Formats: sequence, structure tokens, C-alpha cells
Amino acid sequence: MFTQYFGQYLLNKNYLTPQQLHEGLELQKETRLKLGVLAVNAGYMTADQADEVNEAQKKVDKRFGELAVDMGYLTNEQVEELLSSQKFGHLLLGQALVDKGYMTLQEFEKAINEYKKEYSISDQEFEAIQRDDVEKMINTLIKIEGSKDEKLLKSYLALFARNLIRFIDTEAVVSEVVKLEEYQCRFAAKQNVQGEISLTTYIEADESSFVKFASKFAEEDLTTVDEMVEASVGEFLNLHNGIFLVNMSNTGIELELTPQEIHTNLKVNNVYKITIDLSFGKINLLICE
Amino acid sequence: MSENLKKILICDDSILMRKKLKESINSCGTFEILEATDGEKAVEIYKEVKPALVFMDIVMPVKDGIQAVTEIKEFDSNAKVVMASSSGTKEHLKKAIKAGAFEFIQKPWEQEQITRIVNNLFKKGE
Repeated sequence: MFTQYFGQYLLNKNYLTPQQLHEGLELQKETRLKLGVLAVNAGYMTADQADEVNEAQKKVDKRFGELAVDMGYLTNEQVEELLSSQKFGHLLLGQALVDKGYMTLQEFEKAINEYKKEYSISDQEFEAIQRDDVEKMINTLIKIEGSKDEKLLKSYLALFARNLIRFIDTEAVVSEVVKLEEYQCRFAAKQNVQGEISLTTYIEADESSFVKFASKFAEEDLTTVDEMVEASVGEFLNLHNGIFLVNMSNTGIELELTPQEIHTNLKVNNVYKITIDLSFGKINLLICE
Repeated sequence: MSENLKKILICDDSILMRKKLKESINSCGTFEILEATDGEKAVEIYKEVKPALVFMDIVMPVKDGIQAVTEIKEFDSNAKVVMASSSGTKEHLKKAIKAGAFEFIQKPWEQEQITRIVNNLFKKGE
């Protein structure tokens, strides 16, 4: 996942064209090894056990390594060892770009160093980011300026990113955060979080991405905005906000939710627009404080 | 539908969740499944049909699930109601228990949870 954030950075800095980045990421994907594959390869797990962990992962908000430890298939030491052999995804992207002749290795290294400097990323943070630690990644790479409670919004966003990865698309990447005085929604699911903390939240997208998002969550082939599509996007938002409420409840803050609503062409004011790139399109998470 | 089939009422404002829950229940056996889209309709249907089991969401328009369970239990103290909600906060759990729900399942539920509940209720004795 970090590789995609870094890829976005290369794009923003005009080091690469979108086409070149796409090709680099595609090539890099083929060479990136999953923890399960590494564990099987190392003889720590059988392929059946890895499948079992992958299945279990669809249901709980945990990483492969954590679950494999919970299920007694790996020790923490083995996970650490495997992760250290896995954490060079961005270097694989670098290799892919160099192989394609889009950048030299020197240019790539320079870009990485610039990136770390620009975001004031410590070596320790960089380690965590490379391990795809979503929480750390959001905290370090995403700036939410002018918020009443930046820490809260970041933890909300990190949870949203994790839920997207868990239920919708493992390729989900937060690509932009902007604060807008006014935004015209296309298709949107809306839900309010109320209580000590008050947030209005929306998942918003164009028609095509809205339908594809709904199809993924419902695990059904949906083709046009209908009651099922609306229910699916609404339910994802409800599910995410429900988990947020449970997390907050565990810290002693009790909140309530309103029933989710669906809107088209709704205008919202003073809103954070968080754009998320998915493998099938873009969606926006909108938050009003 | 046969008169002899056990009746289960599903109350959720989301058509998707009703569909998924119906599929989960149908994989446990043959039942007559009734649907309500909010708490008020659920109470009405309960009073009319007295289903053997109710699955109830919490956050819904018109009347929320906690209020609906309270009214159902007032009408029939033996009613069997399972809360099925995405927000299993401590407060919601407390309220659900106080209202008289006998079980709380957090969405997204697993098939085994539904199977266990349905089997425990219907496969024993009868």
C-alpha cells in the first residue's frame, strides 16, 4: 500500500506519467510476495492453513500475520522474520521502473529521500509505513488541516481505510484530502454520528463508481443505481460507523448513529473531501465536523 | 406457505441486510420469513403473527430497534428477539439486554452465529 502512496507522490512531482506508474505498479505486483506465500515457502505453514487464514481475514479487522499467530500457525518471531523479507514493495516498484527505463535507480533513491524529508518521516515511521501499517501511514502521510480534532479525524480515516481494505478492495489508497466550503455531491450515502462527538459522514461517488462499490460490498452483480445499490453503500457506511462507535465506546465515549440516507445532487458546506482511489474508480469520504 | 412452518421475523431498514439474513436463515432449514423495514412495522407484525424468533436491527427510521423490542416484550414476555446491529457499543448492549433481547450479534455476522441461534431454538425438543 505504501508503494501506491509513493507512486502518487512520483506522479504529483511529475517524475512519471500516469501510464508509466501504472505499468510500474503492474510489474511490481507480479513480483510482490504475500505473507502467506512467504510463510508457505519458508515451510512455516501449509497452503491449506494459509487459505484458512485468508478466509478468516475476510471476517475480522486483523492482518494476516496477527491472525496466523492467533490461530497457532505462526509465532511472532516467524511473522517478524517474514515481514522483514516482505517490506521492500517500493523497492520492487523502483526496480520495475528502472527496468522499464522510466527512471534511473539514482533518481528513484533521490525521490524516496525527498519524500521522507517532505513528510518529516523518521526511519522508524518509514519502517512501519513499509509494513503497510495503515494507522501509521494515515498519521504520517495525510494532513488534515484546520480540523477541530485532527487526531480523531485521522483515526476515523484510518479505520475507514482498513474497512475498505477489509470489505471492498485491497488496493484502496487515500489520494487526497481537501477542505471545501461547498461541494456538490453526485450520489451519496449519508449518516450522522451524534453525541459528545458530532460528525456528518458521506460516501460519495459518480454513478459508475457508486454502483461498482455497491456490487463489491453486496457481493452481487449490480448494474444501475437501484434500491439494492443504495442499501449496499448505505450499509457499508453504517457498518464502518458502527465499528467506529464500538471503538469509541471502548474508550468510554458513547455515541449514537442516525439511520443512513441516500441523496443525489446534494450540496454540502464546510466539508473535508477525502478522495480514495480504488481498483475500479474513485470514491470520496466526506466529513463535516 | 404452510401453516405449520415456523415463522421468523427480520427487521432491518436495509434491503441488502434483509436479503443476506434471509439467505443465512434459509440455509438452516425451511421457515416462513417475514420482513419489516422499521421498528413500528415489526411491532405490528409481531402482534399479528407472533413469530417464533425475531432478528432486530437497532438504528432504523420511524422507531428504533430498542424501542421495538421493549414494546414486543411488553406484549409477549416470552418473545425471542436477537439484536443484529453494526454498533455493538456497551450502551447498545446494555439497552438491548434491558429491553429483553436474548442475544446480540454484531454485523457483519457469520453464518455460524445464525445457524447456532436458529438450531438452538428450533432443533431442540420440537
